[in-house]
Amino acid sequence: MALVSPTPSVYLAAYGCLTAFGNASATYAALCNGERALTLQPALGNRGGDAVPLALCRGRALDETAPPNWLPYVQELVTTLPAGDWGSPRRPVFVTSSNFGVGSLYAYRQTRERVHLDYGTPSSCVDWLRRELGWGENVSTFSHACVSAHLGFLQATRALHAGLADEALVFSFDFLSPFVAGGFNALKILNSEFPAPYENRASGSIGLGDGAAYAVLTRERSELQITAQALHNEMHHFTANQADGAGFAACIQQIMPAVGGRRLWAKGHGTGTLEAGRLEVAALEQAFPAAPLVSWKGSLGHTLGSCGAVELAIAAECLKGEYIPGTVGSHAPGFSATVAFDPLPGRAFDGVVCTSNAFGGAHAALLLSHE
Amino acid sequence: MLAAYIHAVATDDPGAEEPAGTRERLKDRFPRGATRRMTQLGLLMGAVLDPLRLTEMDTVVYASEFAESRALEGFLDSFPSASPTLFQTSIHPSAVQQWLIQRQQAVRTFFPMTGGPHLVAQALQVALLADTPRSIFCGGDERGTWLLEAGAASMRTFAFALALSRDPLGAMGEIKLAPSDHASGDLSLQRFFDALQGRESLALSPTAGLWLTLDWR
Repeated sequence: MALVSPTPSVYLAAYGCLTAFGNASATYAALCNGERALTLQPALGNRGGDAVPLALCRGRALDETAPPNWLPYVQELVTTLPAGDWGSPRRPVFVTSSNFGVGSLYAYRQTRERVHLDYGTPSSCVDWLRRELGWGENVSTFSHACVSAHLGFLQATRALHAGLADEALVFSFDFLSPFVAGGFNALKILNSEFPAPYENRASGSIGLGDGAAYAVLTRERSELQITAQALHNEMHHFTANQADGAGFAACIQQIMPAVGGRRLWAKGHGTGTLEAGRLEVAALEQAFPAAPLVSWKGSLGHTLGSCGAVELAIAAECLKGEYIPGTVGSHAPGFSATVAFDPLPGRAFDGVVCTSNAFGGAHAALLLSHE
Repeated sequence: MLAAYIHAVATDDPGAEEPAGTRERLKDRFPRGATRRMTQLGLLMGAVLDPLRLTEMDTVVYASEFAESRALEGFLDSFPSASPTLFQTSIHPSAVQQWLIQRQQAVRTFFPMTGGPHLVAQALQVALLADTPRSIFCGGDERGTWLLEAGAASMRTFAFALALSRDPLGAMGEIKLAPSDHASGDLSLQRFFDALQGRESLALSPTAGLWLTLDWR
């Protein structure tokens, strides 16, 4: 512990993600084409419920099985992970999630079949997953709703700079279940409307999506680096932010000293709710007035605790690609002229500010840029 | 080696007390009416964090294996008419948020963690690597009912909080995490809580590759 100092840079040695479109390159291509993965599906799976926008991995049902039916998708994702003794003392794993296997507890409550209990608690789920993926025991777990992945990035960075690790793996996952779809449906923000992030319309709504991603962080130089990271927790209200947007600004402002002369764009949290969307747009516009802003949750849905890692992987694809996907699912007018609805030319930029928000007014931001 | 001095410790061990009993016992420590909306773990976390006088510049590390077991049970019971209140209350790290939101106390860096037998070591590592002058390491669990019968909740309700800094002046103890050759080890959250409550010194391997010492003055 020392006086507060800027977060040191760390390099992105490898990354990957999984969404309803498939891997990072398939997701990037689909977003560039303006495709929407969300479809209306019953919130409670085979038990019915309201039809709500969900984006599940291809072929996966919302209803839980034992073992969870999302395991093969995770296994496929980790085949692209650089080989190594992940979970060993020098190669720690930082697992982040919001829901873990809580859908299995829902399945147990509905069926009383004890087989679901092996995956229901966060620790049992992560321990099971760790063994399935062949990782050692050096696995730390963070859970802070939709900013969870950012906690993994920050702690991995600190472990690397403290000399406690040679490489660090941040692994994030959140797969939908009736538990989470039913919960957000009960909050009324998940309803029959498709989300339109940052669109100036009469009512807001969100969609939900499956997501998993990984990032291998290292101090060894590579093409992309996470130049700055920031957190801030308003603790104003469980489901609302301070009306003046001070919480958004308090987080984003921590990133600004690291910007330098970079030409930036911004990948916002942008779930499709109105109030938070307006506040986020205003804060980003004030901090980075020249940076066009996009959100991809109108296509992918909100992938919850994994969103920070999923969207980091897509942002990395953008920095290497020709285009930056626009805010799919939204149309003008937006909350601000900075909102980009259509794809942007990638070569016009050399860095991206990525933000995430969560229950309790939790905020996270990072700056990803070319080395 | 990572190390810090302990400047404050607070624990609450309600034994077999039910949530209603905890609410009644602690009601004077919260604003009138506030406890109605708080979980048992939320009440206990508030009780142990209150004396530590958190500031925005503290790093808060919160460790819980099962977290909001009672709210989770209630939310699962509420289907098919899912309860929005129980949904948001059941989400980790609601217990600490309940208290901080009530106090309108912003915190820049907040690391909610979960895990099993290595959770104490992992959470301590996060607290000891923090870049703020003070770290608050807190944790706890609440005893479940039907989730406990299913083996998916804590058997015991407890909460603790300790304030850590690099300043030795006025410290009441010291905690260290050093590299070791131990191939295995564990230290449960409950065992750590007992050591804090009894001011018991520890010298053990809390996870593979690490050695923990906890000393009191």
